[in-house]
Parts: sequence; C-alpha cells; structure tokens
Amino acid sequence: MAAVNRDNEEEVKTDDGSPKIKPRPIVRLGIFLIAHSPVFSVVFSAAGVLALLLLPLLAKNTYISENALMPGSARSMLSNRDVSDGSKLVKDIKNFRLNHEGQGVEVQKLIGKYMSDMGAEFSYQKFHPEGNQFHPLHFFSGPDSYTLLENVSCASYGVNVAGIIRAPRGDGKESIVLVTPYDFINGGDYEDLSLGIVSSLFSLLSRVTWLSKDIIWLVADSRYGDYRPVAAWLTEYHSPSFKVSDLLKCDEQNTADNFRRAGTMAAALVLKVDGRSEKFEDTLSIFAEASNGQMPNLDLINVVNYLAVHRQGFYVKVEKVVSLLSSSWLKIFGEIFEAVGKLAHMLNPDWNFGIPAADYLEGSATLASSLYSQALGIPTGPHGAFRDYQVDAITLKVSPRFPPDSKTRQHDFFLRGARLLEGTIRSVNNLLEKFHQSFFLYMLTSPSKFISVGVYMIAFALLVAPLPMVAASLYIDGCKSLTNSTHNPTENFKSWKWLDAAKQVFTLHLLGFIVTLLPYFICQVPGQHSPTNRSIMWGTTSSSLLLITFVTMPGCSPFSSRLHGTNWAILKSVTISAAFIGLCLMSIINFATAEIGALLLVPTCLMAQPIKPALRSRRLKSLLGAFCSIVLLTIGFPVMFFAISKGLLGEGLVGLSLGGEFWTWLESLWAWKSATYLYIGMVHLPCWLLCLCILFHPS
Amino acid sequence: MKEEKKDDGVMAEEKPYMFWIWTLASTIFRLFLIFSPENINLSSRPEVSTPHTSLRRLAEGYWLKQSSLSPYAGSMYHGSPLLLSILGPLTVQRIEGQSSHHLCSLVFVIADLLSALLLRAIGQKLQKSYRMNLRPLGVLRSSQDRGILPCGDIAALVYLWNPFTILSCVGLSTSPIENLAVIVSLYGAVTRRVPLAAFGLIMATHLSLYSAPLVFPLIFLLGYGLDAPPIKKFLQTRHGGVETGSTSDVSKQEKLTPTTQLPFSWRTVLHFVFWVLVWSSYVLVLCSLSLKQYGGLEEMFKRTYGFILRIEDLSPNIGVFWYFFAEAFEFSRNYLLIIFNLYILLTSIPSLMFRLKHRPCFLAFAYLAFTSILKSYPSVGDAALYLSLWALFVNELTDMEYSFFIFCGYIGFSLSAL
Repeated sequence: MAAVNRDNEEEVKTDDGSPKIKPRPIVRLGIFLIAHSPVFSVVFSAAGVLALLLLPLLAKNTYISENALMPGSARSMLSNRDVSDGSKLVKDIKNFRLNHEGQGVEVQKLIGKYMSDMGAEFSYQKFHPEGNQFHPLHFFSGPDSYTLLENVSCASYGVNVAGIIRAPRGDGKESIVLVTPYDFINGGDYEDLSLGIVSSLFSLLSRVTWLSKDIIWLVADSRYGDYRPVAAWLTEYHSPSFKVSDLLKCDEQNTADNFRRAGTMAAALVLKVDGRSEKFEDTLSIFAEASNGQMPNLDLINVVNYLAVHRQGFYVKVEKVVSLLSSSWLKIFGEIFEAVGKLAHMLNPDWNFGIPAADYLEGSATLASSLYSQALGIPTGPHGAFRDYQVDAITLKVSPRFPPDSKTRQHDFFLRGARLLEGTIRSVNNLLEKFHQSFFLYMLTSPSKFISVGVYMIAFALLVAPLPMVAASLYIDGCKSLTNSTHNPTENFKSWKWLDAAKQVFTLHLLGFIVTLLPYFICQVPGQHSPTNRSIMWGTTSSSLLLITFVTMPGCSPFSSRLHGTNWAILKSVTISAAFIGLCLMSIINFATAEIGALLLVPTCLMAQPIKPALRSRRLKSLLGAFCSIVLLTIGFPVMFFAISKGLLGEGLVGLSLGGEFWTWLESLWAWKSATYLYIGMVHLPCWLLCLCILFHPS
Repeated sequence: MKEEKKDDGVMAEEKPYMFWIWTLASTIFRLFLIFSPENINLSSRPEVSTPHTSLRRLAEGYWLKQSSLSPYAGSMYHGSPLLLSILGPLTVQRIEGQSSHHLCSLVFVIADLLSALLLRAIGQKLQKSYRMNLRPLGVLRSSQDRGILPCGDIAALVYLWNPFTILSCVGLSTSPIENLAVIVSLYGAVTRRVPLAAFGLIMATHLSLYSAPLVFPLIFLLGYGLDAPPIKKFLQTRHGGVETGSTSDVSKQEKLTPTTQLPFSWRTVLHFVFWVLVWSSYVLVLCSLSLKQYGGLEEMFKRTYGFILRIEDLSPNIGVFWYFFAEAFEFSRNYLLIIFNLYILLTSIPSLMFRLKHRPCFLAFAYLAFTSILKSYPSVGDAALYLSLWALFVNELTDMEYSFFIFCGYIGFSLSAL
C-alpha cells in the first residue's frame, strides 16, 4: 500500500511541472485518495470493523484436502482383547495406588513393564522443571538453545516414560506421537482413563501390520504442568545435550544412555480425559493454538473432527467465550445479518450467505476465543511444544458422560476413544509427506467451519489502509506549511525535514525497547518481591527514563518551546508510518495480535491532534475531536486496556493490585516467549507515547 | 533502525569531536555484544552468514587442513585459502574461559573500524571536490559554504552504526573483511595511490568474485578523477560568461580542451593495470603455495569461484537464486546459470558505465547495490557496504524528493524480510 502511494506521489510531482500530460488512472486514484483522506480513513476503518464482524458469516465448511488421508475408510481393528488390556492397566495402577501411597517411581515402572510386555521399546527420561525466567534473548532464539540449569537439586524432578513401537512396514524415519499427561504421584481417576485408552490402542498397534510410521507413546509427568515435561522430552529428542546432567546422579535408575528415538514426527496427539461431560454424549474438545498463534494443519483437525462426529459419535467442540453468547449487541448484529441474508435470498435464491442469529452468536464467540488465544500467544495445551519443532499437534480433551468409577461404561468409552485415535493414526500413517495440503493460517468458528487467511486479512487490510494515506497527506501538508512559514538558510534540506520528527520517533521507540527489557533487570533485583512491588519498580524506572529523555533531548518533549518542537503534522505523519510498519510486521508474525492492536492503535493514531488549538477555537467539532482523542489515548494505555478488559470479564480491579495483576500477566507472556509482549513494548507503547506528544504539542 | 544514523549524521555535523565519541561508542557496543554471555545464534542465521562467508565453515576448513586434508573437502569451506591461513589459527585459539570465536570477532571489529576511517577519508576527498566543482558553476555562494555536509563523517558513522554492519560483525561472518577490501580499493583510487587501489581490488576479487567488475569504476576514478558534474555543465557555464579561476584540481587540463570529452589519463591507468597484474600474480603464487598438496589452483578456482557461479548450495538465503535453481529443471540449469551470471554483469556495468562515467564513485555504489541484491549468496553485510557508500553522497541527496517515502519503504521491507 505504501509502495503504491509512494509511486503515486512521485508521479504527481513530476506531472506538476507539465500539466498537459494526464496522469495515469492509478496515479489519479492515489491523488484522489490522499486528497480526501479524512473521509476515506473513516470509511476504511468502519469497513474494517464491519468486516471483522462479518467474519463468522464468511466461514466455510472444512473439508479434507489431502486425499491420501482417507479417514474412516478402513474398518477398525480394535478388539475387546485390546480394550481389556487397557482396562487391566488401569486396574493395576489403581490397586497399586491403594497399596503404595505416593510412590510415583513404581507407577512409572509399572507402565514401563506394560510397554515392554506389548513388545515396545521403552525408556525413562528425567527432566528438571524450569522456572519462568524472563530472558530478553529467548524471544529471538530457537527452542534448542536452552542451557541446562546449573546446580539442579534432586528434590524436584520429573520422569517421563516413552514407549516406541517400531513399524513393520516403515524404515524408522517417521513417527507419530501420542502423549498422555499423567501425574504419577496423585493422578486422579480421569487421568487413569486416558492411560487406559492409549494403552488399549497401543496393544492393538503392537500387533498390526499396516503401520509404516513408528508410534511413540509418551507418558508425560504432569506434576509440573502439562507443557513443561513434553517440552523437555522434545528438547532431548531433537537436540540432546552431551553434558552429563546432575539429574542422572539423583537416582540409581540410570536413564542416560537409553533415550530412545524414532524418526521425524509426522503428527502428535495429546489425549486428556478430564471431568464429566455436561452434555448427553461424551464431549471432545479440540485445542489447537500453539505459541504465537501458530496453528496445526487444518487437515489434522478435520480428520479428528470427521472421525469423532461421523464414526464414534462424540460431541465435538472448540473453546468459545461464553460471556459473548449472552451479549445483546452481538445478538442484534446477528439478527440484522440474518434479515439481510433472508432478503438477499428472496432477491436471488443463489445468494445463501445468511445464517441464523444463534449460529452467528456461536460462531463469533468461538472466533473471539480463537482470536484471543492466538493473540495472547500462549499455547493452549501441551501440543504447543510440538509446534516449536514444526510438528502438527493438537490436544484432545475427552469428557466422559459417566462417573470415572463406573466399570460397565468404561469398556465402551475405551473402545470409542481408542477407535478414534486408531482412525486418526491410520490416516496420518497413510501420508507420504508432512501435512502441507490444507491451511496453516486459519481461524475456527466451529469444529467444522473455518475462516482462511485470505478472508480474515481483508478486515486487517481495511483497518490499516488509512494509515499510509493519512501519512502521505499529512506529510504534504506539513511540508507546505513549513516552506510557507520559514525561509531558513539551509534551503537544501527541503526533502529531509522529516529527520527531526524521525529522530523523535526513533528515540521513543528506543525508549520502548529499553522499557521492554527492564523487567529482566528488575527480576535480577535480589530479594523476594511481590508482583505489585515489581510493577511499581518498573513503572517508576520507566517514567523516570521518559523524563530523562524529555529533559536531555528537548526536541522530543511535548512541553518544549516552539523553537525546538517539530511541526506536528510531520511528526504525526512519521508516527503513523511507524505504526503502519509495526502493525504490518506484527500481522506477519501473529495476525491476531496485529488485528487487536490495530483496533486500538489505528483510531488513536488517526484522531491524535494538538489539544491547544482545539481549546482555543472553542468550536464544537474540534472540541469533540480533542475529547475523542483523549478518550482513545486513555483506553490505549496498555495497563488501562488490561484493566478495562478485566472489568468486562467481570473482575473489577483498582489501584495497586492492578499493577500486580498486569505484571503477572506480562510475566506469563514472556515465559511463553510470546511476540505480543514485544509488540506491546516496541510498537504499541512508543506509538501511544508519540500520540501523547502530539496531543500536548505546543502549536 | 536507520534513523539512528541520521541522528548521528546530524550530530557529527554540529561538532567535530562527536565523530570520535560515536565511533568509540560503536566499538564499545560491538565489544559488548561480542562478550555478552548469551549468544543469539546469529551465526546460524542465513541473513548474516552465507555458505561463502560463514566463519564456522572457515573453522571447519582450517580443521580439515590441519588434519592434512584439502580444506575444500566435503563442500564445507568455499572461501579463500589466504583467509584460511590468517583467520584459521584464530578460530582455534581461545582466550581463557571464553568461546573460541572471540579473537576472530576482534579482527572483524578492527576491520570495521578501519573501513569506517577509510570511508571518512574518501568522504573528505569527495567533499573537497564537491566544493571545488560547485564554485565555478556559481551554485555555491560563500554563505552557503557551511551547508555542505561532512559526508565522510556521515558515511563512516552510517557504516559503524548500521544495524546490518553490526549484525555481520557480531554474527561471525567474514563480510567485514570483504567490505574492507572494497573500501581499500576505493580509497586507493580516490587518493590516487595506484598500488593500494590495485591491491584492494585484487583482494576483494580474491575474497568474493563479484568485486571484479569494480575495476571499471576504479579505472574511471583514476583516469577521469573524482565525481564531478557532467562536463556539459562546465561548458554551459563558461559560455554563459561566468569566468572562473580553476576547476577541479584533478581535471585541470579540461580548461584547455574545448571538446566535450573528459580528459583521460592513460598513464595512471596503465600504471594501475601493471599493479593489478603484479598483485594478482602475487596472490596466485601465495594461494598455490598454500594449496600445493591439495590440488593447487585449479581446485581453488573450482571450489570458490565455481561455487559462486554455479550456485551449488541451495539452502535458503535472502537472495533470489537458490529458490529459482531449486525449482529449475536439471537440463536447463547450465543455460540458466549463464543467463543469470551474464545478467548481473551486462545490466549493471555497460549501461551505468556510459551514464555515470563522470561519477565513478557513484558508479561503484550503483554496481555494489545492484550486485548485493542479485549475487548468489547475498547477506546483510553487502547491504551495509552499499548503504554506507550511499551516505557518501548526502550533499547530492539533500535535494532528493520524497526521501521520506523511500525511507519508510526501505525500513518496512528490510524489516519484513528479516
């Protein structure tokens, strides 16, 4: 967009000298857009918001894109014998638990013994639960550059058990991973069920002849969270550390040299059994969002969804924001869209884009949840660890409709769960390549409906389209006013007048960068501090840094005298360009963050203008504009936005506890290496500060 | 990112000692990045180190050579054997408790500093000739004399503070040394030290084949003199009746010749050619000595220049060729190789040579910018070189229209490319 505009600009200028030549249509379009930029920016922004609201309407039904998958085409081979194997394991574990309280190691050995009885290779892996250390470089480094923590204590470590079935038809270069998080010390009855399902399946897979990819069953020690053990196992799998870890000396059980590997992972399925279903059927929830909003290939979700719905009769759902389901304004929108759809259908029976208002509500609640978890950049389950190694993975959370101790239902439940996994594995087993056929960039509005990147990008593009237009028109205005007002001797700097403004923008961005890094140093401060204290420390250091910047660099301060200050139009133009570049970059890294950020930043940047002339003129229009920009700026402050969104979710926060909450939230962001944190610090905060500077500009 | 250097440029313009402060600061910044305990794995980034410039490969080549194998065995190392002899021992020596690449990084920091100082010297020369040229044209009045920017300082600081340069310096790639060789040759030509210019050219060509066509800008630089407005301008001004004293000091005879031809000093150029031959035979002898047991010069040419021209390594980089040749059919590969390599040579050199023969430095910049996009293994180090050469022409660029939009576009695209 910027490029097009820039080209237009140059052309316009050359045409100014010789008016006889008529500019090309695209140039004229560019001039037209820039000349009427206020109108168009309102139109485009509104269209962007509308397009976002329309997204649930534009969702398409999912389809299985890769033909080789052929889900459900083969008859399930899972027999009652396999299921009784699984039931036996669950029974043994339960009995063992009753007799030996709190002996996790023995349970691991029991599972290991089962695996080897089924003819699988198995190995234990010890890992150390890593603390959530903020490190600025972790954002840029790959997952394999973790350094082993020194002086690990033997007091707390986890042990993963992994079993591998070698495929009779494979060459050992590819594998499929099944993960069951399991707490060996105090795992509940539901967790036992997940072990039962997978061990039933494992018993079958150890016998079948069609397997061409090795099967890995990882029982992850979930005492330290679901994610960490899986990540530790994957790190060991992909980049073994040759340093002898201290953990190995902790126990007589030697785990060093028998870490087993299979080939590259084609796909991974994480199975959890959790809680009782509220529905009449067993419920299957699919979680797919990995770190930084990366999604697994849509085909994987499609296969699971197809098998679960059409073969095993599960009720499949994906996460949704429940509070949106009852929101009245969304309902009104849904009804309007429904009415429009009906009208269109009456006019032309081929136009079938209307959906019922209830569907619209469901769709937008799911979409909102999808957007939210992608924007947060925090994986929604252990499958996120796989995505760091470019392995497609999803978490399946099954909620049975019976209480966990009901023996009769358990058999049926195992049978269906294992058949679902068997079908999925059989489909993935058919693949010759990695998943590549279907979408990687999409958002789900229901388990069987998705919005692809080509559609949801429209909303973002419309939203940010005004930025380059307004930047160009402001730049031209600013240049004109400068040449009219001043005749300084350095006339040859005609086209470099934006340098001062660029300097200010750059300084504030640098400041944002430093503020982003500050938590690293605050975490280094000795002593235990509560999150509230830390946030206060952060706030004070950042604001004092800001003050120092304003004092030492008079050009940057909004309160400077008129001589030092730059022309606000040019400053705003450079700010908007910076915001545009930042948003576009972010949309490549994490679309959802960029979309939500654009919703906040675009109006703020567009509305920002000096407040003083507005107050002086006392006209209603300019006063209203100034009021709007103040309101937008207040909302745009990250802490404020956090508080408001918390308040919308029903948790009112005031005063210092807000700071603590905010700190904890940010801490979770950087612990997961979320790019959203970088976005807030290095794009949003500087642009917000610049808008503040423009607001208090002394012109 | 790039704003920073503008920043510095303005600073340097105001106070002369600021230049040294910023230079020192950039050195400290580099040392800080090198000795900071964490490594960001920059050296494994394809943007920073290409198969041709990676120091890790150089260490591997050195190791092979130590164990009496050809350093080019196994398609790991593709650089010059001389660089191997100089940098190789440094890759295995360690300062106690530090990783082994720190000594090499120090060499790169020194190379960067040297390049910056040479750029400054080039810039001062250019600035002087700019002033000399403008006075007879009557463009420059005494009041505006201060308006000329110290382009040397600006270019040097642009080079030192360019994030691209810092990345390639810290990221263990040998491109700082290649850049130094190119800048040495330009410096030699600008200050009319013919042997130095020839040496720089030969070293640059030896390190990276794409510097070879720089011979044309260098010949122009030696033959015609420094950058100046076209000769037509001078003639027009003279016919217009503005009687002036002297024109550019390098093209003094020009007053005597009423033609529109620029005077071309064949003696200097022949001198230059002679030195080029001397240095190249010298380098070749050294190389053949160092590779005596391992296949000699033929092996070297095959493994370095052949590797560059035949685009053997198809791992992704920021260039365009790897993708193209990964997709191309095997039978058309040779044809396409010829086309692509000729394209670089033929589109850049002849056309620009006729257009810009009165501005050899700018010709060098244009050629470097062109090749840095189209070469087979481009890295950010090449971009650093041409951007700093670009900053040598700030005086001419002050009148550039729409610099803001070009600037925003450049930043946006380079950031999204990373």
